Amino acid sequence: MAKTVLITDDTAFMRMTLKNVIEKNGYQVVGEASDGEEAVALYKELKPDLVTMDITMPKMDGISAIKEIMKIDPQAKIIVCSAMGQKPMVIEALSAGAKDFLVKPFDAERVVESLRKIGS
Amino acid sequence: MRNMKLDFLKELANIGTGHATTALSQMLSGRLFQLVVPDAQMLPFTEAADYMGGLEQVVVGIFVVISGDVKGYMACLHPLESALVLIRLLTGEDKAEIDDMGRSALQEMGNIMVTSFLNALAKMTDLLMVPSVPGLAVDMAGAVWESILAGAEVTSKVTVIRTRFSTEGESIEGHIIFLPDDEDFNRIARKVGLGDL
Amino acid sequence: MPEIFVNMGQISSSKDNGILTTVGLGSCIGVTLYDEKAKVGVMGHIFLPHSRPNDADAPPGKYADTGIPAMIAEALRLGATKSRLQAKMAGGANLFPNLNLNSVSIGQQNIEAVTTLLKQHGIPIVGQDVAGNHGRKMRFFVENGVVTVTAIGKDPVEI
Repeated sequence: MAKTVLITDDTAFMRMTLKNVIEKNGYQVVGEASDGEEAVALYKELKPDLVTMDITMPKMDGISAIKEIMKIDPQAKIIVCSAMGQKPMVIEALSAGAKDFLVKPFDAERVVESLRKIGS
Repeated sequence: MRNMKLDFLKELANIGTGHATTALSQMLSGRLFQLVVPDAQMLPFTEAADYMGGLEQVVVGIFVVISGDVKGYMACLHPLESALVLIRLLTGEDKAEIDDMGRSALQEMGNIMVTSFLNALAKMTDLLMVPSVPGLAVDMAGAVWESILAGAEVTSKVTVIRTRFSTEGESIEGHIIFLPDDEDFNRIARKVGLGDL
Repeated sequence: MPEIFVNMGQISSSKDNGILTTVGLGSCIGVTLYDEKAKVGVMGHIFLPHSRPNDADAPPGKYADTGIPAMIAEALRLGATKSRLQAKMAGGANLFPNLNLNSVSIGQQNIEAVTTLLKQHGIPIVGQDVAGNHGRKMRFFVENGVVTVTAIGKDPVEI
């Protein structure tokens, strides 16, 4: 059975791009969230195997969402996908519980590599 | 002193736009983007809109608030034709006007470019510069500019960095304005060893 | 017929004929004053509501509080009578509504400042097209006092 993924990004364009890459590589996108609040709600509802998380989003940012999801499920597998690559931010995301940090723009291979590595 | 400030901004522009162009290239599957060396001008705010080519020209404006160690604003403007080229390159679809997906693609591209610009500066200075979720407007250049200037509380001069990217026969124009608070601009200058400007 | 362009922070005027035009009103307010009998028209393109102490050299039209009195003075200089002046305004939009830069957007602050000042001077506002999220172009025909407002993708309106 394919591993399930929840995609979180505030732009429809990015969600579409990620969905294409992820589904082409054998994963199933079970939900799309456009802000951190929605991501937390969908995580509770869908219990996906993996989560991709943007950082800069309205309503609730990615770091806060990571913290909330880790509270719900300390085993959650969250991969950050953000344009924000500055060191303090990467450290904060990883400390909050993210398992990997991909800086946009990233190529398809890098995303898949991370999903495989973290998903196993 | 004003020349030194402008020179320093030009250098920041060089570095920042260099990184932003690399990001743009990667976003478009490694297409080669040639960046025309950015030209920076310090203009009275009333002339800023004209600098881009006419107050009535339709442009796409992306506007972010910067927070963290450096506070301020940053904006990125493209004439409509350039924006349509970008949308075509990003989505693979040729449209005559900007629809919802087109807006979304531009917003994401703007986000990546602005953040790459700031990432480069942050690396150089060890100062955290966090952009907000970007605002996007498609409207007359005059209206977009003045909304940016009013939002950024600019009342006198503004430095505009004019860039042109060309790729395989397509020419894309962009204007970047980087507006750190005066104090924070001096912090940046001090971090790179220039002292207060 | 001469068309005079009024840029950000400027005030221009005309008597009898001429078209006063301002392009690209975003958060700014385009204000017109008209004395129908004397055929005197003044247009200002106002940027911010309140003048700043560190911007003493600013042209009077830049801020509402210096701009409105300066526009009235200009109208009187051309032969208008204050009690006959009527005003119209356009602009005060918020082009980046998702950014929440201020609790009250600059556009809205401008609308309130200009409205208050005109009221204080006893000048009625007889037409307006303000707020929203789009830019505007305003044209003022001094010969008959007609003011048209256009926006991208919308039909021109007369205010």
